[in-house]
Amino acid sequence: MIATLRYEFLMQIRRPIMWIVYGLAFAVLVAAMWPGYRTLDLGSGGGHDPKPAMLASAKLTMSLLAIVYGCLLADRLIRDRRLGVAAILDASPSNPGGRLVGKYLGVCGATAVPIALVFFGRAVVYTFTEGKAETLAWALAVFATVILPALIFLGALALAGPLLIPPLVFRVLFVAYWFWGNLIPADMMPTLSHTIFAATGDYVEYGLFDRARPDGVVYGWPDAALNFLRPAATPAVAVLWMGVMVALAAAILLLTRLHAARSES
Amino acid sequence: MRIQINQLTKTYKGDVHALKGIDLDVPTGMYGLLGSNGAGKTTLMRILAGLLRPTSGTVRLGGDDVTTKEGRLAVQRTLGYLPQDLGVYPDLTARQFLDYIALLKGLDERSVRRRRIGELLEVVALGEHADRRLKGYSGGMLRRVGIAQALLNDPRLLIVDEPTTGLDPEERIRFRTLLSHLAGERTVLLSTHIVEDVAQTCRHLAVLAKGRLVFQGDVGSLVARANRRVWTVVTSGAAPSTGRIVAALPHGSGMRYRVVAPVPPDPMAQPAEPTLEDGYLALMEAAVPA
Ligand SMILES: Nc1ncnc2c1ncn2[C@@H]1O[C@H](COP(=O)(O)OP(=O)(O)OP(=O)(O)O)[C@@H](O)[C@H]1O
Ligand SMILES: [Mg+2]
Repeated sequence: MIATLRYEFLMQIRRPIMWIVYGLAFAVLVAAMWPGYRTLDLGSGGGHDPKPAMLASAKLTMSLLAIVYGCLLADRLIRDRRLGVAAILDASPSNPGGRLVGKYLGVCGATAVPIALVFFGRAVVYTFTEGKAETLAWALAVFATVILPALIFLGALALAGPLLIPPLVFRVLFVAYWFWGNLIPADMMPTLSHTIFAATGDYVEYGLFDRARPDGVVYGWPDAALNFLRPAATPAVAVLWMGVMVALAAAILLLTRLHAARSES
Repeated sequence: MRIQINQLTKTYKGDVHALKGIDLDVPTGMYGLLGSNGAGKTTLMRILAGLLRPTSGTVRLGGDDVTTKEGRLAVQRTLGYLPQDLGVYPDLTARQFLDYIALLKGLDERSVRRRRIGELLEVVALGEHADRRLKGYSGGMLRRVGIAQALLNDPRLLIVDEPTTGLDPEERIRFRTLLSHLAGERTVLLSTHIVEDVAQTCRHLAVLAKGRLVFQGDVGSLVARANRRVWTVVTSGAAPSTGRIVAALPHGSGMRYRVVAPVPPDPMAQPAEPTLEDGYLALMEAAVPA
C-alpha cells in the first residue's frame, strides 16, 4: 500500500498537464470571481474577519478547482489496465485492496496539492494584507472541515466512476454533476445542493462556523424539493456531513474492490 | 519447480471454450508451449500466474494449488511473469518502475532492492539507460525491462508469454539466449507461435491447438512426426497440389518447393530431413485437418 501510494503520488504530481490545467483554472477563478476573490466577502459580515473570509475563500476555490480535481483523477484507476501494467501488479504477491487504497491516497493526495497551494496561498496573502495572524489557524480549520471531506468523497467518486463509463463521458457528467448537485441554489430545481450529500461544506459553514446566510434567513429553502435531505444546520449535523463524505468514499472504494474481484474470474 | 495440470478447462463468458481439458506435467528447466493464435496459451499462462480462475480442473505449482488464496500467494512469491501485452508506466524511469514492482514483490529492504535492481539492469543490458523515462524506450528495451521485473524476486518459476513477438532478429536471438541462461535451476515456461524460438532453446515442449493439448514430449519426437513426410520438389510447372508448402525458392528456370505431406506430392519428390517446424506442421495437419 505504501509503495503504491508513493509511486502513484509521484506519477501524478509530476504530470505537467495537471499543473497546466490547474494554472488555467486558477486564472479563470481569479478573473471570474474577481471582486469576491479579492475581498473574500460573500456578503455576510465583510471580508475583514478571517473566519468568514477563509470560508469564502474555500467556497470560491472549490467552486472551480473541484472540477479540475475530479477530471484529473478520472483516468487514474483504469490506467493500469489500459497501459497493460495491471497483469504485472496482479501477479505480484501484494494485496489488491491495499493497492487500491494506496492508489486512492496517493493520486488524490497529489491532485489535492494545487488546491491546498491555492487555498493556503490566499490565506498567507490575507494574513499579510489584513495583518491578522489568526487567519492561518482559521485556514487550517476550514481546510480540514470543509475542503478535505469534499476531496475525500470526490476523489473516490472520480477514481471509480470511469470503471462504468469512459473517462471522457465521466468528465462531462462530473462537471454537470458539480453544477447541478453542488452549485445551483436548492430552490431552482430538484438538486442535491445544500443537502447532507452535497460536497460543499455548507453544513460546516452554517452549523460549525455559525455563518449566517447572506439573506439573513436560517439554513433552509422552504420551497425546495428534497428538503428531507436538508436537516437544520447544527454542529452535530456538520459532523454528520463529514462522516457522510468519508462513508461514501469508503463505500465507493469497497464497491470498486468487489467489482474488480468479480471481474477477475 | 514442477507444474502439474489436471483436466484443466477454462470457459470465458459468451461460451468461449479457451481450454478444453488440459493434462500437462512440466519439469524443471526450459519448456516450450507452442500454439497458433487463439490456441489458449495466454489463457493457460494467466491461470498459472493466478490472474484467472479456471472453470474446472486442478493446477499445482511445486505443491501449491493456485486456485486457493493461500496457494496463489505462495506461488506468486516465487513467480516471475512477463505478460504478452506487457505495459509500463511511461512517466517512470526503468529504475523507478523496477523499484515499484520490487516493493510489491516484498523486497522491503532498500539496500537489497537497490543491489538487485542494479544487477538485473546489467543482466538485461539496460544499465546506461536506467534513469531515462520508459516512454522513450524501444520495444526490445521494454521487453528487457519486462524480463527484469519478472526476475526481481529470483523466481523459481518464470512464465514468459510470447516475449519475442515484434522484436528484430538480433534482439530476438539475444532475448531467447538470455532466457536459456535463466533456465537451469528454475522452470521457464516460454509460450510462442514462433517454432524457431522453441527449437533453439527448449528440449521439451507441448503444443496447444484450439484449447487442446495435441503434443507433449521432447523436441526430437516432435521432429520425428515429420519423418518421411518432408519432400523437396523441383519443378518448372505448377506447384504441388497435395500437402503443405513450407518453402518456395526460385531454382534455375523453375522453383524448388519444400512440402510436408504424408505421401510424395510428386513423382519426382525427394525425401528431405525434417525440422521442428516440419514436425509442428505435420502434427497440426494431423490434429486439425486444414
Ligand atoms: N477475456 C476473454 N474473454 C473471452 N474470450 C477470450 C478472452 N481472452 C481470450 N479469449 C478467447 O480464448 C481463446 C484463447 O485465447 P488466448 O489469448 O489464450 O490464445 P493465445 O494462444 O494466447 O493466442 P495468441 O497467440 O493470439 O496470443 C481465443 O479464442 C480468444 O478469443
Ligand atoms: Mg497469447
